[in-house]
Amino acid sequence: MNPELERAKERYHSVEPPEELAFAVATAVRAGDQARRSRHALRRSLGTALASCACFVLLVNTSPTFAQAVYEVPVLGRLARIFTVAEYQIEDQEHLIDVRLPALENTGHTALEQRINTEISTRIQSLLDEAEERARSARAAYIATGGEAEDFMPVIIDVDYEIKCQNDRYLSFLITETETQATAFQQLYPYSIDLESGKELTLRDLLGPDWKEIVNASVREQIAQRSQDPDHVYWGGDDYSEAFTSIRDNQPFYLNEAGRPVVLFEKYEIAPGYMGVQEFEIPS
Amino acid sequence: MCPILTEKEAAAPLRSTAPDTRQLLVDHITAGQTDFYRLAFSYVQNRDAALDVVQEAVVKALTKVDTLREPAYLKTWFYRILLNECMNHFRQSRRLVPLETSLDERAAEGRDPGERLDLYDAIGKLSPREQAVIRLRFFEDMKLEEIAQCTGTNLNTVKSRLYKALKKLKEMTGEEIEHES
Repeated sequence: MNPELERAKERYHSVEPPEELAFAVATAVRAGDQARRSRHALRRSLGTALASCACFVLLVNTSPTFAQAVYEVPVLGRLARIFTVAEYQIEDQEHLIDVRLPALENTGHTALEQRINTEISTRIQSLLDEAEERARSARAAYIATGGEAEDFMPVIIDVDYEIKCQNDRYLSFLITETETQATAFQQLYPYSIDLESGKELTLRDLLGPDWKEIVNASVREQIAQRSQDPDHVYWGGDDYSEAFTSIRDNQPFYLNEAGRPVVLFEKYEIAPGYMGVQEFEIPS
Repeated sequence: MCPILTEKEAAAPLRSTAPDTRQLLVDHITAGQTDFYRLAFSYVQNRDAALDVVQEAVVKALTKVDTLREPAYLKTWFYRILLNECMNHFRQSRRLVPLETSLDERAAEGRDPGERLDLYDAIGKLSPREQAVIRLRFFEDMKLEEIAQCTGTNLNTVKSRLYKALKKLKEMTGEEIEHES
């Protein structure tokens, strides 16, 4: 072998991993296991080209009466569930796309199921189309400014979901779409459905007519609490004057395992970017 | 209360895919962690960033392990995830330090042609994909077919990247590196 190459190879292999590598790997394995558990089985495949960044919350509130009724029929003992309807990966010059798309079944409300499932797929499809367009123009710009086509790093698009709450009454999950170019970019598009009425479930339904005051007071208190840690910074300093005043009418939320609403604030909405998406559980 | 799908139930169908791909993956990651760290380090040239890259690749791989149907592809499949993370971080770090990089490049251009770049440093100046081909071929002693699988391309693309990279390296260092495919 070429001596110069031999030397480069030695230098490559002389890099000694730090002591904490084993620990870091073990931590990552645990985190990966956890993420793997939260997603689950029954996948079908569907091969279409798609791609961007968003995040929706879909929440289904099945009524206790309905739950009771189904409970008594042994065959239907298992309630509404979320399953992966589409899973695929696309790799090409412009993007690396990885999609795991959820859908609902066995909610007992066929029309509602169809509406939600259609909504999810059309929404994701249009976001993916937009992202694909962005990736195409980014690539064109890269080449136009003298970059070599082959060196363009594809845009990474990841669509995934996480089940936040599933019991006999509620079904809540969060779809995330992340688009990574130089930095990751994310938005939230939530919606919640009340299966009984077939309408969107709101914070008012969960917390009553004073929902806004309840949420605002709780968020304010939790911000104050979190701000005691010097690493946690929210806009506006001590009086929160510029920062949090009130939630919006359509503030995104999901239900956690305990069935309590968790209000979401997008990155930058009430805190610097490094704080990420801020979540506040509202005690009921 | 009747949870729709308990954790145990959710995990059951995964566990039935024998042999346990998740365990194979964890074993593979544990056994190869030093190699993976080195590959990550060669891209990001920074200890903390290299640890991040390895961690992110591990999390991603475990999350998606159930999509891996054929355990025989586990090794190349994991490399593919790792390389994607490496390239992504490489791209980020390159954009984050534009001043330093551009100064470097300017210095490189105005270099005395007699003064040659060290081969190791020269590899770092290739495109991320060319870096992958060179490192996997010469430092990890992989076959070109394996490299094609690890980088998600075909053999011809790997060959053309390799030739192109070797040509660039020769321009930068004056070293002629022979290779047999």
